[in-house]
Amino acid sequence: MTLIEKIHSTTPTHRETDAGGSRGLRVRGLHKVLGGRTIIDNLDLTVQDGELVSLLGPSGCGKTTTLRMIAGFLAPDAGSIQVHDREVSALGAEKRPSAMVFQNYALWPHMTVVKNVGFPLKLRRLGKKEIEQRVDAVLALVNLLHHKHSRPARISGGEQQRVALARALVQEPELLLLDEPLSNLDAKLRVKVREDIREIQQRLGITTLIVTHDQEEAMSMSDRIAVMNAGKIEQFSRPAELYSRPETEFVATFIGSLNRIEGSLVNGAVVPGDDVIGIRPEDVVFTLHASFDARPAVVERVVPHGHFHEIYLKRDDATLRAFASGLPPAPGDRGHAAIQNALTFRQGRLVTTGGVAL
Amino acid sequence: MTLAPTRGSKRRAIATPAVARRPLGFFLALPPIILILLFVGFPIVLAFAFSIGLTGGLNHVIASIGLNVHEAENWWGTPAAYIEVLSNSRILRDLSVTVGVTALSTVIVIFLALGIGLFLKLRDGRMARLLSGLAIIPLFIPVVIASWAIVTFYSGDGFVRSVFAQFGVEAPVWAFTMVAVVIGSVWTSLPFAVLMITSGLQAIPNAMIEAARDAGAGFLRIVVSILIPMAFVPILIAVTFTAIGVVGSFTVPYFTGPNAPNMLGVSMSNYFSAFNQPQQSVVMAFIVFVIASGIAAAYVWANFRSAKDQGKV
Repeated sequence: MTLIEKIHSTTPTHRETDAGGSRGLRVRGLHKVLGGRTIIDNLDLTVQDGELVSLLGPSGCGKTTTLRMIAGFLAPDAGSIQVHDREVSALGAEKRPSAMVFQNYALWPHMTVVKNVGFPLKLRRLGKKEIEQRVDAVLALVNLLHHKHSRPARISGGEQQRVALARALVQEPELLLLDEPLSNLDAKLRVKVREDIREIQQRLGITTLIVTHDQEEAMSMSDRIAVMNAGKIEQFSRPAELYSRPETEFVATFIGSLNRIEGSLVNGAVVPGDDVIGIRPEDVVFTLHASFDARPAVVERVVPHGHFHEIYLKRDDATLRAFASGLPPAPGDRGHAAIQNALTFRQGRLVTTGGVAL
Repeated sequence: MTLAPTRGSKRRAIATPAVARRPLGFFLALPPIILILLFVGFPIVLAFAFSIGLTGGLNHVIASIGLNVHEAENWWGTPAAYIEVLSNSRILRDLSVTVGVTALSTVIVIFLALGIGLFLKLRDGRMARLLSGLAIIPLFIPVVIASWAIVTFYSGDGFVRSVFAQFGVEAPVWAFTMVAVVIGSVWTSLPFAVLMITSGLQAIPNAMIEAARDAGAGFLRIVVSILIPMAFVPILIAVTFTAIGVVGSFTVPYFTGPNAPNMLGVSMSNYFSAFNQPQQSVVMAFIVFVIASGIAAAYVWANFRSAKDQGKV
């Protein structure tokens, strides 16, 4: 199916290949040392055909370096990169079957929107008519036909972002790469554009790799998330699993909010020890009356977050943060706090979840 | 109701100094304006009057000393001196040499500067930095000295011919030819062009180049479709400054060029002092001025275009 056919078809083409078939992207043993520091440490990553995967991690973890090596702007010291079972690591960026959306969009300011989007096709020496058709189709897809002849400087940030996406999509890439695509947009627009990107990606079924440091962005868009830290992938799994079963302490603290307490949990009470327990704030329940396995607690601070409140609770064994909706207690209120679920880490790795040993 | 007038008066209190500052700024700018009007503008007006044959008043002395002066019989002047100069085949040859040397030198300078700039942008390394550093050297060597160096280097008994003679080869004599003038013009113009074009190219974000590579563009495509259009304004500024500099040059053609035909700067000097024909000399100066204004118009247009691209106009 060509891009135009895909754009006009209503059925999602997501994962149209048979199970275990060709892989969208396969990275093996990727290694990069820059300035004597190991940036990427023997990294493996497989993205299924039509899947959207996020590389998520703090700044300096090597996620952008990984993306740039996959795009071909940076040569890896070692390792293989395969797109649809074809080795591409020896090819320059201009010969790879991938297309990239840059963080600052990198639209050429001297070209109009049409010329920006049509440039990759012009390089392929396609006919004028075909270029026009494909550019129009992809501009309609990102809803920008009315800005066809505008210069990039004359349109808004969100629109520039969509032009950059259109320029990548028009190439009908086998692999779509996005480098922090939403970081330059304001909060409201970010939510809208990420939904647009997800919707377009699903419709076209393009294998996509997104680099982001925003966990909310990664959670809401991705089929799977690869959490990176210090040049390695810490965990590679579905968003829900990443949250409920973080394999390492790093992932647990990086994703979502966490009460991190040194010690272990015995009968709902924290006892000192070598392990680390992580308790999600929503798993701490504060009530005014006593209940089974709850311990007396005093409200120290209440921080409003709009539709919920963050409550700081002082128990005799630990200080806990809890999320609560509805009418919040006031600082100084006395009640009872129960820990309903906890993750236990030994030497940084998950050993039990919710009291169940792994 | 008491709040509104207070606000109004407050705003007026803030606005007053700004209004008062305006004439002050004008007075501060006045001394250089007066200086330019008096010492540059006024002589230009006088010279123009002289060139169209208005030889009275302040032009009286020079008109009575100079030879072959065309005098106007009415108050609006006469084009006689312009007609004489523009029908003088010797001056016309000088004019065409001037235009030719300017065009050729400018092309060579921009080509070299672009080469160095692109090398620095696309393959940043020790070699590229060394080259761009070397290109700045002529800036620190006085033009007279450089001109003499060029003459002695390419003269009949100069270095080039001596070296070639060792191997029994007869090398051409370039001293006192237009070739030496072009070499000298390139030498003097290169530093500015390199600085301008290099900084223009360096200002282009690398992501623009990477986006082009990602789209499938090779080296030549990136240069032609992305880098040159994006650095178009600094390149055009370098072109205009180089061309204006060469068209009005004197030292280089005077020292390294032939007797005739030579560039108009040298001719002007000859007509003014050696031939004692100041009016013809002034006419040539105005012809060079017209050429330079044409080039300057391109400069203004380039600045306007860049302002437009940035959405300022």
